[in-house]
Order: sequence, then C-alpha cells, then structure tokens
Amino acid sequence: MSNSVSRREFMHLLGSTFGAGALVHMGAALSLMPNTATAASLSFAAPSPGKEKVLVLGAGISGLTVAWELTKAGYDCTVLEASNRAGGRVMTVRSGDVVDEIGNRQVCEWDDEPHMYFNAGAARIPSTHRNLLAYCKELGVELEMFINESKTAYVQDDAMMGGQRIRNGEMSTNVRGFLAELFAKSYTNAQLDEPFSDSESEKILGLISQFGDLNENMLYKGSYRAGYVSGGFLDHGVQKDMIAFKKLMQSQMLRLSFTANEGETGPMLMQPVGGMDGVIKGFTRALGEKVIYKAPVMGLTLKEGGVEVSYERDGVRQSIDADFCFNCIPSHLMSGIPNNFPSEYLQAMKYIRRGEAYKSAFQAKQRFWEDDDIYGGISWINAPIQQIWYPPHGIHKDKGIVLAAYNFGGGMHFTRMTQEQRVEAALAQGEKLHPNYREMVEKPITIAWHRMNHMLGCSGRWGNNGGDWSMETQSFFNRLQQATPGGRHYFIGDQMSYHGAWQESAIASAHWALADMDQRVRAQA
Amino acid sequence: MIKVVGLSVSLLMATIGSSAFAQANSEYYNDHYCTTCHGVDGIGNEEVSAPRLAGMEVWYLQRQLESFRAGIRGTHKMDLQGIEMRAMAEDLSDASIKDIVAWVGTWEFKPAPITFAGDAEAGKALYTACASCHGAQAQGNEAMGAPALAGQNDWYLATQLHNFKKAYRGRQPGDRFGSQMIVMASMLVDDTAIENIVSYINTLGR
Repeated sequence: MSNSVSRREFMHLLGSTFGAGALVHMGAALSLMPNTATAASLSFAAPSPGKEKVLVLGAGISGLTVAWELTKAGYDCTVLEASNRAGGRVMTVRSGDVVDEIGNRQVCEWDDEPHMYFNAGAARIPSTHRNLLAYCKELGVELEMFINESKTAYVQDDAMMGGQRIRNGEMSTNVRGFLAELFAKSYTNAQLDEPFSDSESEKILGLISQFGDLNENMLYKGSYRAGYVSGGFLDHGVQKDMIAFKKLMQSQMLRLSFTANEGETGPMLMQPVGGMDGVIKGFTRALGEKVIYKAPVMGLTLKEGGVEVSYERDGVRQSIDADFCFNCIPSHLMSGIPNNFPSEYLQAMKYIRRGEAYKSAFQAKQRFWEDDDIYGGISWINAPIQQIWYPPHGIHKDKGIVLAAYNFGGGMHFTRMTQEQRVEAALAQGEKLHPNYREMVEKPITIAWHRMNHMLGCSGRWGNNGGDWSMETQSFFNRLQQATPGGRHYFIGDQMSYHGAWQESAIASAHWALADMDQRVRAQA
Repeated sequence: MIKVVGLSVSLLMATIGSSAFAQANSEYYNDHYCTTCHGVDGIGNEEVSAPRLAGMEVWYLQRQLESFRAGIRGTHKMDLQGIEMRAMAEDLSDASIKDIVAWVGTWEFKPAPITFAGDAEAGKALYTACASCHGAQAQGNEAMGAPALAGQNDWYLATQLHNFKKAYRGRQPGDRFGSQMIVMASMLVDDTAIENIVSYINTLGR
C-alpha cells in the first residue's frame, strides 16, 4: 500500500476493512429510506348506488386502514377478525393478557401499571413513516419519543476482548478514532481525484480530527467520548484507556457502530404513549362495531360482481356478500381456507415465505439499567437473543419491562425450544450483559410469531435466501398485488409491500389497493 | 428457575363445542386450534406443513394425539413438524383428546389436492408391500393399526416416508407401528421411489 490513496482506493480500503456489505448497508440505510405519498392527499369517490358493501378480512393495520378510509368515503364496511383482538402483529402485552402461542399459552402476570408493557411486534415509528404518523394525528394517538441508541448501553461478544462487555460509546469512539487516524494518514491532496485548495485541505483535516477526536499529531490515543474511569466534575476526569481497533475488529458486531442507528432505525423514532396498540385502539375507536371479533373466515368465493365470505361466530356458520373485499389474512393461512382464487393467485400466495422473528421480555424487579447510566436504548450481544431493550418510558419508576430477546432473522432457534429452555437461554445470555440479570428479572413472556395462533409467522418474505428480488419474485408479487379478475378482491397487508415488517408498509399496501379500487369505481360511474 | 404460570391446555380443550369463553381478565382464547394449521374443517394446509385431517379415522386421530403426548412422535430434533404438534399435544388430558377427536372426527372426508406427478405405474409395484397393512385401495385397516393413505396430502406422505427412512420417526421407545414403518420405508431406495409410491397412492380412493 502506498502512503497516500485516492478516494477510490480509500473506498476500496474501507470495503476490505469492513466487508463490502458494510458499505452497501451504510449507503442503503442513508439514501434509500422508502418514501410514501402523504395520507392527506387521499380522497375517494363515494360508492356507486348498490355497491357500498365492503368486507375486510383481518383487523391488522392494513385492514383497519381500508375500513376507516372507506367508511369516511361512505361505504358500509365490516371487518372480520379471527382472534379476540385487533392489530395482528401490532401487539402490546400487559398484565392479564394471554399470549396465544399454539402449545405454549402464557398469561402475563406483570404489575398492572401503565408503563409496564411490552410491544411484542411493531415497536418503533420512524419519523419518515408519514402515513402512520398522519393516522396517529387524525385518530388522537398520543406519541412520545423512542430511544433506540444509548451510548451507555453495552456491546458484548465472546470473540472480542475475552467476552468483556464494553459500552456502546466505547465501541463507536474507538472505531471512529481508528478510522479518523486512517483518513488522516491517507489524506494526500495531490492524489485526490478532485484536488482541494490548502485552506480546504485544512478544513478537511480538521473535520477528520473532530470525527475521531485525534490529537495534535493526528493520531488517535483514546477519547473522553468513550467515558471516564472516574471523576470529571470536582476532580480531573480520568479518561478510559483506548481500545485497540484490532481487538474490536474481532467482533462481528463492529458494523453496528455505523448501521444500527441509521436510516429507518435512526433518530427520531417514536412510540405511542402506553403501548403500540394505541395505534390500533385509535382505529377501532373510530370504527366502533364495524369490527367483529372471534369471527374466523371459513371460506371465500369470488363471484360475478362481488365476493361471498363465510365465517364462524359462536359456533355458527354465517355468510356475507360484499361488493368489495380487502384481505389481510396471511397468505399461508389463506391457503387453508377454501377459496376459488385463480390458480396464478394460489401459486403466488405459495411463493411468500413465513417470517420467523422472535421476541421475549421480562419484568425487571428494579430498573437496574438506570443504576448503570442507561435510560433507554439497546444493548447488543453476539448471541441468539441479539438485543436487550431498555424502556425509555417509566423512567425512575420502581420496575420496568425489558425486552430480553429480539431475534429477527433465525428466530426458529428459540421457537423450537420449550418455554423453560427459552427462558434459561435468555437468562444465560443476558447475564453476559448484566451480571446480576438473573436476580433482577422475573415473569418471562416469549413471542414466537411462527407459532402464534391466527398468525403462524412474522412478516411475509418475498426475497429468496437473503432478500434478493428476482424477476420471478417480481412477477409473483405483481400478480398478487392486482385485484382478482373483475376487481372485487385485493390482498393487502405488509405481505403486499416491498418493505415488510413495518406498519407503514401495511398502510401503503392498503392505500395502493384503495387507489386501484377508486379508479375502477370512478371509471364505472 | 422462572416458570410461566398459565392455564393448562387441557382446561381449554375440555370446552370444545363452544367457540370461546372468557377467563380471568376477560381474555379470550380460541379452542379451535386445529384449524389454524390444519385448515378450515381440516382440509390441510401445505403452506404451514399441516396435513389433511378431514375424514381421518377416529381411532387413528386418537392414537396419533396420544403418541404426540407421550413423546413417541415429535421428539426427534429433525422431525420439525412433529415438534410443533408435540408442543400442542403435550399437556392434553384424556378427556381433551376425546373432545378433540369427537370434533375433528365430524369433518367430512375431502381428498387433498394432488401435487406430485411421479411414475404411478412404478409406484404400484412398490405399493404391494404397503397393501398388506394399509389395504389394496389404501383405505386403511384398524385391525392392523394402519391408517388410510388414500386422499392424504402427497407431500405429507412423502415427508413421513423420509422421516421413517431416516428414523426421525419410529425409533422412540414404544413406537410399535413406527418401528415397522422404518423397516418398510427402508425398502424405498431413493427420493424417486418415494415420489412414485406416493403418486400411485394418489390414484386410489378418489
């Protein structure tokens, strides 16, 4: 390697240091935040006479969106929901709630207080999710800030520094220091593709120095940003020792310093006060009796000019005819319900794979993290639990609910365990982040979305092995997104989005279907 | 050790017939768990790997539930679907099993959709060995403890033949019928043989 590098070479160097994936991830997170049109621009034509009946299958957020928008437009909407609650994977667990996992029912026995809850599914609202935010505003859902990143939370990896936990801020400060020193050493004006003037170069070097807190020789020797060992206010602060990059790079979680809090999970994030199901309650308050609970769909028939749906209620089969039907039942459950969908629909439904995400939570007997300078944010661990979340709400109260695991990829690891095994794994791994964890937590709740009644999966996955989007995937997606022939039935939900697992995705899919239907209605008017 | 305290599943299952009831804190739970995976009226659902139950023999439903409960089925770590079923069956009481069977047993026989297109003619020859227990028309034989195969999901039959062949099923202590199936499945030399025999079964009893 030469003493100076061009920008191209530098990017190459960065890439080979962190893996190309790190750069792609970072770039994607920064520049490809999905955007949706604003909800305020929605305006649907009134129904044609005799064509007012709308049936929504599933009270997930996409279904509720359709029901609310079409109710406002003058349609007669009915929502059929199989379970006792609306919201689907927008689910908040509190005292007394039943977690209806098949073969592992749990009853939540946490203290009954407003801050003692756990968002078992959707848990964060990015400030760019403008439709969801617009509904929160319209439906009177009070929001507060959600803290995703805390520099005082921990990072732990058995492969790094003998498994010693370090503060998130130690990781990021020392990595930045190393990178800045690397930038400074590599910076040679003459070899840049676009040379800078001397004063510009001075500014650039100043920026590099500030980026990594370099000393006057443009070397990184540690920084107060990583925290003090002691003192700082009434005596001179003793800075923590610098951690050599070589030690940090042993951890696969290194890239987290740059990606975990960027893009959609970057500031600012929000949550409804009192639990994410506040969003759902906003919709169900507005819809009133239009939502029928405990009414599983038993059959769906596409007919000339409409749809007939049979369902069960109190053990009795009933059927409803509707002019339009919007369906957010997960495609893998719809396959077990008799229907007369065209074969190309059935084929496309089969293409979607079931998500496997897993979460768990404990009641903490004390807010032990606050004694450790942590107020919200996430600790990361290179173990199946992956994360521990500290509640940003209920600060300084006696107790709190900690998220004890969030395995968003290979959640089957926990799903296949017994409840006792899941809990022991969470305790054993959590102890690496907090030595007194086992003594501090109690009353576990586990959420294996793959096994939850009426769900049997987390967000639908279209991409094959790692999310690639092939021509085949695209053609199946397009097929399923379109209304069935005749324009009377739409699949909706985050399963009908390019970017699943967000409430905004589900709402966007609903808006797409509504716009398509509206166009047809206007064309026929 | 922290343990979750919850209502036992047996308590729920004892109330089959009513679709729901309220318990502490007005929470609801649905006692019709079977249909979530196995589909409306037990028609089966390939997308969640749950076989057709519609029209399954009552004696076999009962034996299979008891086998899952006892850990004779669904305990091998490679029996992935069996593990899911085992979790469901583990805490069932005798009364609950009876209730479930009484409910599921009312579902009308509906042959599962055919998804295999193997060489049924080649499968016919292989099936001769099966016929002595499962019947020439794969109609099943209670006296032999052999369930009907006709009309069952072909992918499910193939999965279980693989499971028996690899002894993921059949080797647990007390699995009298499964151990016989290990011997029988070992005669199917490869995947093609399994596909062919299942394709032949697809031609029976429809």
